[in-house]
Amino acid sequence: MNLKEKLTILADSAKYDASCSSSGSKNRQNKIGNTNVAGICHSFSSDGRCISLLKILMTNCCIFDCKYCLNRRSNSIKRACFTPEEVCELVINFYRRNYIEGLFLSSGIIKSPDYTMNLMIEAISLLRNKYHFGGYIHAKAIPGASEALLKRLGNLVDRLSANVELPTETGLKLLAPNKDNEKVSKIMNYVKNNKSRRFVPAGQSTQMIIGATRESDLDIMNKSENMYNSYHLKRVFYSAYIPVNSDKMLPTIKKPPLVRENRLYQADWLLRFYNFKVNDILDKDNPNFNLLLDPKADWALRHLNEFPKEINKASYNDLLKIPGIGITSAKRIVSSRRYFKITFNDLSKMGIVLKRAKYFITCDGKYFTDINFFKKSFIERNLVLEDKVKDDTKKIEQLVLFNE
Amino acid sequence: MNREEFIYLYDGSFTNLLNLCILLIKKRIIPLNIKSEEYQPNLLEEVIKLDCTETINVEEFVRLFSKRIFKTIYYLFISNDINKELIIYYFLIHSLKYKDKIYYMRNLKSVAKALKIEKYVGRENHKFKGFLRFKELENNVLYAEINPENNILFILSKHFETRLANEYFIIKDVGRKILSVYDKKNIYIVSEDEFLPITNLSTNEKFIQDLWKSFYKTIGIKERKNNRCRMNFMPKKYWKYIIEVSDEK
Ligand code: SF4
Repeated sequence: MNLKEKLTILADSAKYDASCSSSGSKNRQNKIGNTNVAGICHSFSSDGRCISLLKILMTNCCIFDCKYCLNRRSNSIKRACFTPEEVCELVINFYRRNYIEGLFLSSGIIKSPDYTMNLMIEAISLLRNKYHFGGYIHAKAIPGASEALLKRLGNLVDRLSANVELPTETGLKLLAPNKDNEKVSKIMNYVKNNKSRRFVPAGQSTQMIIGATRESDLDIMNKSENMYNSYHLKRVFYSAYIPVNSDKMLPTIKKPPLVRENRLYQADWLLRFYNFKVNDILDKDNPNFNLLLDPKADWALRHLNEFPKEINKASYNDLLKIPGIGITSAKRIVSSRRYFKITFNDLSKMGIVLKRAKYFITCDGKYFTDINFFKKSFIERNLVLEDKVKDDTKKIEQLVLFNE
Repeated sequence: MNREEFIYLYDGSFTNLLNLCILLIKKRIIPLNIKSEEYQPNLLEEVIKLDCTETINVEEFVRLFSKRIFKTIYYLFISNDINKELIIYYFLIHSLKYKDKIYYMRNLKSVAKALKIEKYVGRENHKFKGFLRFKELENNVLYAEINPENNILFILSKHFETRLANEYFIIKDVGRKILSVYDKKNIYIVSEDEFLPITNLSTNEKFIQDLWKSFYKTIGIKERKNNRCRMNFMPKKYWKYIIEVSDEK
């Protein structure tokens, strides 16, 4: 089998993993390549996702039979396996030409978890030590592999992660009978507890498949919150379920739940950067997100008594609660208002987008229109309408999480 | 300050512009405009060239203002804004007064404008860090063409200098007809006519391009196809040099 054919097979099998970011590693420099604190997108695929890493599997052979996976043992598909040299050849040639920021390497399980990890380690250490590659590497740890191997791999890569795949143990039992949560937790724990500076400098992440099992958004967000707290994860990725196999255990869906996926990312953002708790945005009576409104706007409309907030007085944390105001905007407001009183006009000059925010703020006591319009019905109608207009032009900004 | 109805000329270089601005500020002159000496005035305009003998260099300038302000001014200078010189002049006046606090003074029109341009230049530079594509030439040199709106060739080359420290590379700004050449030690900016023609592609080049194109095709998930979204992030104007999409219609 030639290299092109292998690449096609092993990229095709890897493409469902949502993680791609290449940011957040400390600056490393080697003979060829460095890592950049701000992530760089090198291209965008036909589905609008950022391409930053060469995302491939070491092999798509697998001894497991996870129901949702293209590579499961029971599928009769073409199988391939890279040699370590081939992986290096691709990475170095792509990197020199500025196609990529680095490598994302995952794998099906061939023979045993240890055997698979050894293969990956061989490829990556060749890349680091023989080719002196200093760019970004994200590797997937294989659940069940030994700690000694985790340690070796972790010392070579920027990010090491394991996928929980499904938000609950029941879901996992149902669809991935060969997997168990405990093995994944073990990896996460190990990565968290290894404090060496050279070990996984960009931290760990994980991924969950959305919509293959029956969990509510509340279940999913609780799981995320829990993992952020227990393992200091840098990111949780959410991947809308896309049917590639038919199985009586799997739901039949026409389209992947992309809007839901987007809502989860938005809520995840609120947890990580905006000091929200899962309990603020979802509860037993509202276990799922409003598909018409982003979670922050939805929250604000349910807590309208806390608004409108005065731009010149509200605390930094309160500013962050305003729909349409992001971290940069909030910081800019706080540092500028020491020098002058901010008006609506100033906000525009400061580069702050008012489209959503204007409904929830006053500037120097003034509302953007007659204050009698400050009502739930009026605001909700306008926000939903705005999103509709956006939908009509099909400008779904998948990856831009908030309009700020 | 007194307003004078002249357009002041500088020699087109960054340091000359800085010195002219400082001189004007010292003499309390508010220029009608500031232009590089290639400027063609219309009948009603009067141009004047001052003698800037007492000059300060970049280090002194950084000491006088700050690193941050220096960067802003430089980004303004390489921008394609037609009034950039005047914006620099006003930004400097405000900087003298507010120092680094100027970055919070976006209520001032010229400051808001300057910071907007700075961001726009920075953003274009960042885009090209990703979208630039090198080709390998016969002699192992990496070669890329770009067509940016702002004159980012030098700052972009600085990025690749750290990234590809052990490679020879050449980047050509097609529109401005200038090239940056990196020889594993320094970056030189040269004009097109001082430069030898580019040699043939290496024997491996087509093969690697082909691999990359098939990776690109494979990685898109057809159930999630979203061309609008792709176009938002990677507008058509960049496509010409992005090999994996350049032959797409
Ligand atoms: S372990 Fe499961 S999810 Fe992973 S490659 Fe094998 S079958 Fe697919």
